[in-house]
Amino acid sequence: MTTTRHIEMHGVRKAFRFFTLEDLSLDLEPGQIMGFVGPNGAGKSTTIRLLTGLLAPDAGEVRVLGHAMPEGQALAKRDIGFVSDDMRLFSHATLDWHMRFIASIYPNWDEQYAKALVRRFNLHPEQNVGGLSTGEHVKAVLLLALARRPRLLILDEPTSGLDPVARHELLGEFMEVLKDDERSILFSSHNTVDVERISDRITFIDRGRLVDSSDKEDFLERWRRIQLQIPAGTAVPDLPHVVSKVVDGQFVTITTNRYSPDLVSFLGSGVREVQRMSLEEIFVATVMHHRELRGT
Amino acid sequence: MNMLARKLIAKEFYLLRWLIIGSTVAGIAGLLIAAEGVMRFNIGMLMWLTTIVAFGVVLATFAIANERKERALQFVLSLPLSHGDYVRIKVIGLFLCFLVPWVVLSLGAIVLIVVMPNLPDGMLPNIVLLCVFMLVNYAFVLCSALHTTSEGMMTLVIIVTNMSITLFIFLVLGVSALRTDFQGPNPVWNDTFWIVLGVELATLAVTLALPYLFAARRRDFI
Repeated sequence: MTTTRHIEMHGVRKAFRFFTLEDLSLDLEPGQIMGFVGPNGAGKSTTIRLLTGLLAPDAGEVRVLGHAMPEGQALAKRDIGFVSDDMRLFSHATLDWHMRFIASIYPNWDEQYAKALVRRFNLHPEQNVGGLSTGEHVKAVLLLALARRPRLLILDEPTSGLDPVARHELLGEFMEVLKDDERSILFSSHNTVDVERISDRITFIDRGRLVDSSDKEDFLERWRRIQLQIPAGTAVPDLPHVVSKVVDGQFVTITTNRYSPDLVSFLGSGVREVQRMSLEEIFVATVMHHRELRGT
Repeated sequence: MNMLARKLIAKEFYLLRWLIIGSTVAGIAGLLIAAEGVMRFNIGMLMWLTTIVAFGVVLATFAIANERKERALQFVLSLPLSHGDYVRIKVIGLFLCFLVPWVVLSLGAIVLIVVMPNLPDGMLPNIVLLCVFMLVNYAFVLCSALHTTSEGMMTLVIIVTNMSITLFIFLVLGVSALRTDFQGPNPVWNDTFWIVLGVELATLAVTLALPYLFAARRRDFI
C-alpha cells in the first residue's frame, strides 16, 4: 500500500510584479515536521498560500493530502489546520463562540483536548476575541486548529509575537501532535531556534527559490566550521564544497557543507578546531552562499 | 445548501445581529414618527429611507471589506470551502441579513400608508418601487464589495448608489404615469409600474449573479 504524501509541489511558479516564486519543489511525508525557513520576503507565505489554495500557481503542480490545489481545496481543508500569524478571528465574538463554531464544522473536533488547551494556554472562553492580547490571540487560533485534529498542520510564522514561555508551550503541543504517525506539520519561520527544536526536515528558501532541503540531522552533520593555521606565505588549499573562506593572517576559517573526517585528515596538522554549527549559522551561510552563486 | 454553508450563513446573522436589530428599530422609529401626522411624515420617511440605505452600506462594508481588512478572511478561508463557495455563501448570507429589516420596514411603510387616513393610498406603487430599488441598490453594493479590494472604489460605489436613490425618486418616480395617481385615494398598478418593477427585478437578478461570474472565478483570493 502506498501512503499519500501530505504535500507535493513540483516545479511551482508564481509571479507577482516584484517577486517570483520559481521552480519550487517540495514534499512532506506523513509523520514529519518540516521547518520551512527563509528571510523576510523569501516566499514562505506565498508558498503556504499556494498550499492552502488561497493562490493558484502559474505553472507546476500543488497537491495537498492527495488533492490538486486550488481546485480540491474544499476537500483538502477538511484535514488541514492552517494558522498564520496575520490570521484574525472575529473580534466581536467570544472564544467560546469560535470553539462551538469550529466544533460544528469539523467532526473530529476533540472537546476534551480543546478544554485542556484552554487551561494550558490560560485563555478565557467567555472573553471577546477583540480583547485578547497578541499572544493570547495566536494561542486561540492555534487551539482552534489543533483541537480539530487535522492530519496536516500548516503554520505560517505561528510563534512570532509570542513570549519565550508561550513559544515553549506551543512547540510542546506541536510535538504532541506528531505522536500520531499519520499527522504532519509544515512550520514556517525565520526563528531557527524554534525550527531546530521541533523539525525533523528543514527546507531553506530565499528570494523565491528553494536553496536546500534535507533532514535536520543531515544538515547538522554535514556543516562544519574549520579553523586552520597555515604557515606564513603558504596558499590556502583549494577544497571542494567550501561555502566560505575567511583569511586573517595565518588563520583561516573555512565553512563547508560536505564535512567528513577525511577532510580533516587531508588538512593535516594545521587544523586548530572543528566546530559544529547551529541551524541559524547554517541557514545564514546557505543563504549567503546561494546569493553569491547567483551573483545577487 | 450544505451544512457548512448553513453554519456560515448563521455566523453572518450572529455577528451582525445587533446591526440588524438596531437598523430595524431605527427604521421602525422613523415610521412611528411618520405616523404622527402629515407634518412629521417627511421627517419620518427620510429617517426610514436613510436607515435602509445606511444599513446596506454598513452591512456590506462590515461583513466583507472589514473582514478582509481585519484579516478574518484568512480564518474563514481556512475552512473547508472553495472560493466559489465563499462568494456564494456571502451573497446568500448577506442578502438574507438585509432582507430581515428590509421586509419589516417595507411592510411597515405599506401598512403606514394603508392605515393612515390622511395619507393617499395612491402612494403605494411608488413606495413598492422605491423599496425594491433599495434592494437592487444594496445588491449592487454587496456585489461591488465582493469584487473590489480597493477602498477608493468602494467609496465611489457608495456615493454613486446613494445618489442613485435621489435620482430614482426624481427621475423614475417623477414620470407622469407614476406621478398622476400619487395623491389619489386608490393605488393604480399600471403598465409603467409593472415595467419599472420588472426592470428592477431583472437588474437585481443580474447584479446578484455577477459575483458568481467574476469574484467566484478569481484564482488568487488573497
